[in-house]
Amino acid sequence: MKKKQIAITLGIMCFLLTIALCVQIKTMNSANSTVSQSLADNELRDEVLRMKEKYDNAYRDLANAQKELEKVRQEATQNDSTAEAKEQALRENNMILGRTDVQGEGVEVILEDAASTSSSLNASDQIIHFSDIQLVVNELANAGAEAIEINGQRLVNTSSITCEGNIIRINGERIGTPFYIRAIGSQSRLYGALTRAGSILDAIAYYGNRAEVTKVDNIVISRYSGTLNYEYLKEDK
Amino acid sequence: MKKFKFRADITAVTVVVFIVCIVLVSVMLMQFRTVEQTDITEIENMRESELRTALSEWKTKYEEVATQLEETNNRIEEYNQTIEDNEAASELIDEELKESNILVGKTDVYGEGIVVTLSDGNGQVEAYDLIDLVNELRYAGAEAISINEVRVLSTTDIIDMGGYTYIMVNLQRIQGPYVVKAIGDKDYMSTILNLKGSGFIDRTRTSSRINVSLTTEKRVEIPKSNNDFEIEYMREVESE
Repeated sequence: MKKKQIAITLGIMCFLLTIALCVQIKTMNSANSTVSQSLADNELRDEVLRMKEKYDNAYRDLANAQKELEKVRQEATQNDSTAEAKEQALRENNMILGRTDVQGEGVEVILEDAASTSSSLNASDQIIHFSDIQLVVNELANAGAEAIEINGQRLVNTSSITCEGNIIRINGERIGTPFYIRAIGSQSRLYGALTRAGSILDAIAYYGNRAEVTKVDNIVISRYSGTLNYEYLKEDK
Repeated sequence: MKKFKFRADITAVTVVVFIVCIVLVSVMLMQFRTVEQTDITEIENMRESELRTALSEWKTKYEEVATQLEETNNRIEEYNQTIEDNEAASELIDEELKESNILVGKTDVYGEGIVVTLSDGNGQVEAYDLIDLVNELRYAGAEAISINEVRVLSTTDIIDMGGYTYIMVNLQRIQGPYVVKAIGDKDYMSTILNLKGSGFIDRTRTSSRINVSLTTEKRVEIPKSNNDFEIEYMREVESE
């Protein structure tokens, strides 16, 4: 009897050991693949960095070329008053479009997810949604904003604000909380629109989110980092 | 003797069981490791796909900028040529001004595109429905957008008025049905808006609050903005 029991115990042990071996072999395999994977990743990461550097360089060159273009354009038009007027109109268009860095009086709005999440409230109410940003922008536009940027992204005619999962993108660039929305325009109108009772900021702050607006005397808004052109538009005469 | 043998058996069994326990614990530890490592592999995979997306994004941006750089350099050369030859630069500037007026929204435009019509159903069309739609059209690459013949630009506001009885777009009063036109790649825009789950048309139909319809058109006409485009508060940042 005893010998039989020992035999059975040993049998079970052998079985377990075999399983352990199998597991170990699998572990080794996956460990190996992890190593090769991260190697491939590193190469990919390098490639991304190289491409970004290439873009940064080209973007810098473009900024310089645009400055030079403005200079030669001015030079070429300076002796001709109609051409000079057109040059001025072009400059203004570029400011409106977001092709130039602009500055002026305005306001800065800060939106930030609630610091402490209270479990008695809906968690979804305690974070800033992309629709909150849209509504603030809409309010600023209503108050006559001439230029608006969100976390460094200048809003242009083709700018969209999107949300995939918990990632908000503007102009295709990822942005995160806290959100700084800056607008150039009449300081008193912009400030008034956002501080009146029942304003959009009140609604956002209701569940503990941070929603503040401050007057700023000189806001600098950088140009749009993408390119502006069209493919489908035709002018109607 | 018999008793002693019995005890030896027990000792042996105890030892064996002890060893088994140790082996089992090691196996478990190994297993934990395996599990951890699988997690890492998953993250690594995610990273890889993210990296691939990032790479293609930077590449697209680089190509855009490179094209514009070439165009800008060509323009500079053209202007330099007129300066050298002492010619009038009006033709060149006319061309640039024309292009930028189209982008700003100072001209009536036409082109292929889509028309989305919203009307009251079980509920009313609200300003946010239009904000949402305009945002999605921009995402889908719309080059010009109008709502009931009012041009929509980056600083255009869309506001509910009179207790949701009408909507103001760019300070102009409009009423339903709301006809939203967009010029751009009509097939791409219609695909994006019709996406199951996330597209505007699908989302709106699922909630069945308001009625929505979409048509693709070979020619959509969009009027110029009624803005005066007076710049009052912003000025150029002086370059160093």
